[in-house]
Amino acid sequence: MSRESSRSANSGQRSKRSLNSSNYSNNSNSSNKKSKISNQKTLGMAWGANSLSSSRSSFRTSPFSDFGSYMVEKNRKLQNQFNAEASNSSHGGSSSEKPIFDGVSIFVDGFTIPSRQELRGYMLKYGGRFENYFSRHRVTHIICCNLPHGKIKNLRSFSGGLPVVKPAWILDSVVASKLLSWVPYQLEQLADNQPKLSAFFAVKNTPVAEDALNVMDPSLKGGTSQDAGLFVVGDPVKEGEQIDGQFGDHDCKIEEPSSSSGKSSEVRMVEPTDTEDESSVNNEIRSRSCPLSVSVRIDCLDNQNVRKSPTPSIAGPSNPHHSTLEDPNFVDNYFKSSRLHFIGTWRNRYRKRFYPLSNEFRCRSASTVNASDNSQKTTIIHVDMDCFFVSVVIRNRPELQDKPVAVCHSNNPKGTAEISSANYPAREYGVKAGIFVRDAKAICPHLIIFPYNFQAYEEVADQFYNVLHKHCSKVQAVSCDEAFLDITDLGEIDPEVLASTIRKEIFETTGCKASAGIAGNMLMARLATRTAKPDGQYYIPPERVDEYLHELPIKALPGIGYVLEGKLKKQNISTCGQLRLISKDSLQKDFGLKTGEMLWNYSRGIDNRLVGVIQESKSVGAEVNWGVRFKDMQDSRNFLLNLSKEVSLRLQGCGVQGRTFTLKIKKRRKDALEPTKYMGCGDCENLSHSMTVPVATDDVEVLQRIANQLFGSFHIVPPSLYDLDMGVIESLPSELFSELNEIYGGKLVECIAQSKGKREDSSGSSRILYHEREEGTTGCGEGPLASNIFPPNMILVEHTAKQHISEQSPSAPPVSGAGSNNEAYQTAGLVNIDLMPSSLSQVDTSVLQQLPEELRADILELLPAHRRREVISTSSFVPVTENAQEPLKIAENQSISVNSILNSDLWSGNPPQWVDKFKVSNHLILRTLAEMYYKLGSTGNLSSILQRAISDCLYILDESDDSWADEASHYLCELLKQYIEIKIEFDVEEIYLCFRLLRRFTKKSKFFLQVYNIVFPYLQSSVGDHYGGHLHISPHE
Amino acid sequence: MESRENQSPQDERARVLVEFLEVAITSIIFLKGVYPGGAFERRRYMNVVVQRARHPQLRDYIHSAVTGLLPFIQKGLVNRVAVIFSSTDNIPVERFIFKLTVNQSCDLKVEEGDLEFSLRSFLMKLSVSGPLTKVLPRDCRWEITAYFSSIPQVGTSKYAELWIPTDTKQWQQPPLITPIKSMSSEPLFMQLYLEHPSLSEPKPEAKNY
Repeated sequence: MSRESSRSANSGQRSKRSLNSSNYSNNSNSSNKKSKISNQKTLGMAWGANSLSSSRSSFRTSPFSDFGSYMVEKNRKLQNQFNAEASNSSHGGSSSEKPIFDGVSIFVDGFTIPSRQELRGYMLKYGGRFENYFSRHRVTHIICCNLPHGKIKNLRSFSGGLPVVKPAWILDSVVASKLLSWVPYQLEQLADNQPKLSAFFAVKNTPVAEDALNVMDPSLKGGTSQDAGLFVVGDPVKEGEQIDGQFGDHDCKIEEPSSSSGKSSEVRMVEPTDTEDESSVNNEIRSRSCPLSVSVRIDCLDNQNVRKSPTPSIAGPSNPHHSTLEDPNFVDNYFKSSRLHFIGTWRNRYRKRFYPLSNEFRCRSASTVNASDNSQKTTIIHVDMDCFFVSVVIRNRPELQDKPVAVCHSNNPKGTAEISSANYPAREYGVKAGIFVRDAKAICPHLIIFPYNFQAYEEVADQFYNVLHKHCSKVQAVSCDEAFLDITDLGEIDPEVLASTIRKEIFETTGCKASAGIAGNMLMARLATRTAKPDGQYYIPPERVDEYLHELPIKALPGIGYVLEGKLKKQNISTCGQLRLISKDSLQKDFGLKTGEMLWNYSRGIDNRLVGVIQESKSVGAEVNWGVRFKDMQDSRNFLLNLSKEVSLRLQGCGVQGRTFTLKIKKRRKDALEPTKYMGCGDCENLSHSMTVPVATDDVEVLQRIANQLFGSFHIVPPSLYDLDMGVIESLPSELFSELNEIYGGKLVECIAQSKGKREDSSGSSRILYHEREEGTTGCGEGPLASNIFPPNMILVEHTAKQHISEQSPSAPPVSGAGSNNEAYQTAGLVNIDLMPSSLSQVDTSVLQQLPEELRADILELLPAHRRREVISTSSFVPVTENAQEPLKIAENQSISVNSILNSDLWSGNPPQWVDKFKVSNHLILRTLAEMYYKLGSTGNLSSILQRAISDCLYILDESDDSWADEASHYLCELLKQYIEIKIEFDVEEIYLCFRLLRRFTKKSKFFLQVYNIVFPYLQSSVGDHYGGHLHISPHE
Repeated sequence: MESRENQSPQDERARVLVEFLEVAITSIIFLKGVYPGGAFERRRYMNVVVQRARHPQLRDYIHSAVTGLLPFIQKGLVNRVAVIFSSTDNIPVERFIFKLTVNQSCDLKVEEGDLEFSLRSFLMKLSVSGPLTKVLPRDCRWEITAYFSSIPQVGTSKYAELWIPTDTKQWQQPPLITPIKSMSSEPLFMQLYLEHPSLSEPKPEAKNY
């Protein structure tokens, strides 16, 4: 029979040991002349002596019973060493150094500049602590230069909610000789300053936005983010004006709290320097009513810092952001102004127009291919228009022929629109396709920029092909301005003469120049054109192929891109001549079968492709990759609808139908920085899902349904309610600080001190507190802090209420010592009375109770009568000992509060309060749950309710309306959390059942998926606290 | 068994609990198929069919282990009772944990019927929880381990001398928990759940930089 005795005994010993060694470390501190080594020795001795007293047998075999106790020991040793060194260094001459890092304990992750040793040195010198092993309880800041993707994706589990800061914070703090706020030093990978489409359109709707200068409110032009940390847009009248104001501010947020919950909106702006650019882009868009461009980008609101505040009014149609987003022509307009779209769809046009010709040719070529195999020498001409997009635009403007001209969406000198084509004079300055306008303007200030003229392009392309088809029947169109001609069959004609005839004719009909390359195959012809450009032609006879290729940089070969070039460069290959020295086998070994063969062939000028093999389009699609920002699911749905329409039109245009449908999504990476390109997509994850339907279709409705279904399968959900910012603790009365401080083991005071240093940066300090609070929730499970039950988002509402009070009763005493912070909020100009939470569940009682008496009375005063009644009635029948974890708190609450508002007891009463709340909810799912409760009688177990719901009414899950989903999910999360709280200790089985059922729901319903994802981490941490493990709910059940 | 009149409700509860544990542990051993089926015989306990070990040594081990716990359960010291299946190198493969919470202050006499009902549901659930468990490796070992909320004073009981340190190693990662059954019948709360090594378990801790 074996028992836990050894372990229990161990822990006993351990505690003795720790007692001993802490004594010891005191000694060492007082007599700090001892060296590190002697420290260790003595530690070891003390240890040995101690273990003598207890069962030696278990210790003789191994000094540590398990890894955990080893680590405890090791950590303690490291700490002792650190303490010893710290006291040494502080006594060693440099004692004048201020202990600026007092209370800061850093953990350095990965490679940093300066090195961890240096950072450790700083911490030693300036009174901080340095942890070698991460522990949520001991570490206050994580220092790192960059994080791997995995850690960013799973930031919470990595950092435990602690701030992740760049080492510069420490260096700058040392230089400033005071502790700076870490907020500006937060790792950029985590910061979020992505502009949203809503911001973009908000301006468009602003009536004053006539031109760039008008858009900018002069007073805000140089505005700093400090005085505008938080804008509250509550008043519709003011909205436009405030959005204008946003323009001057870097990364400021508009929060729109109002009466009851619903959607949130957030508007982030780009840097002030971009202001003109944006507005003029907007102008341009307004004038042509089309945001430009191509290929899908779905920004799924996945940002770290997205704030959610419960507000339904925003979802209303009066919201200017929203209406633009819902612009039914959005997608249409995109495609109207997309060059890539033009090129992409041009092929269909071409095929329709020249179909009979090419068809005839195909039949012929099919027969000739076999016959002529290798016996006949082929001659290919490659014709390519010179800078097509520019020359078409200026074909009727001879005065511009030798001026630098480029084509681009935007003529804004600071814009981030890409140059799509530049003529040769412009290229001399280094202007080339793909660079931003601002860069182009920088290198060539007198660059003339034209917008696209798609009609002209079409016209010229048609003329171009007419000429080609006139001279040769074997034409293979590569693009609207580029084609291959196979003139082998034309026999006696000199290819060079023919080429110049064609070029001349093209110039005469279109007014644009073309270049031609002539060679024995398509590869060489194309390369010849490269030499021929601009406005020339070049012939590579077969005998000169080797010579031509010998010095040719490999980059010039088609099919060799950036990556392949880099790989070859590594092998010291930069020309085809060098490439030829490598055997086919080793090429194929290094680069794969196909690529290897291609490299081998191309470097020898071998190209077996035949002219005229027009590839059938295998797929038809539409893509938008610019300017796509979604605020909620409805936006994305609308967007999908428009995209489906476009695809349907294209299918019909090509006269085909499809069976397999693929939805591709670009999802912004968590760590993605703000895209350099304005409204671009930046660093994205590419996701795609496909679906095959039994019957081919081109029907819009079917397409839309499929698109929605596919979209659902990505499981993209809005950000969790955890990602909220709050600054409440700070505003508490000072007595409460000491109390809370104790709970946090003294960290809070430091934190506040820290934030005081940065008082002017209000959003910054609240973030610190946010983290502090997070730690409270996760780290100190035993703490009587109410944050165990209240999800953070409630606090935001409360926050609003407080602002409200300070607005309404200016005579009221400042909320706290930190009251100056409220100044910042007041500037937001919040006047809307109805910002009071409509439901009590939105009020964080704990915060309310912690307010001074008068303020609390004020708040309660302001609650409408029926609400107040609810307050009183709730508080009356709530069992006081509801939450065993906070006896202390509750006792205190009773002493200080008269009218306490409690929302921590959705499960108390009979029927439980949630049933009543949900019964009148706007959300179908919540109502259904309440109904289920009644159907089942009063067993009250959530699992049986869910079970019943799953068997009875799974069908409702799909068609829930989204407008209330946020509020509803918030309620449901709260319900679940409280349920966990109640059941975790004695009935983990019930919770297990509930979550397995919920998991089944998530398959059907995005709503439940969202709820599940929010509550699941909470569940696991709760289980971890009580059972020391994680609940095993398999993800692929 | 003994006369029940002169027992305090706490003692009575502890006795029922210990008896139940003996049965439940035997059921677990049977369920896991550590021994051939012939090593058990069908019996009836609390009106459900249960298994009873036929081999005297096996029966004695289980019996003495749980009876040894009796005084500590009475004092409310026992936190968890685990049945640990481990591989030959003493690394646990699966742990069945009985988590006990007895409200000591409650003097109510247990409603025999209520308690019996709850315990019976345990046994029934246990008998069908085979699919939740893992297949054991060959040559596995098993043991009964008790976790105490505090260290009992040496000499409180003659049983204390019977204690031996466990050789079974511990997992380094928090385990995955699969609840089997929970009951709360004031003043006795008992939960049975499974612990399996977390998926990241075999890897050594990678934080050593």
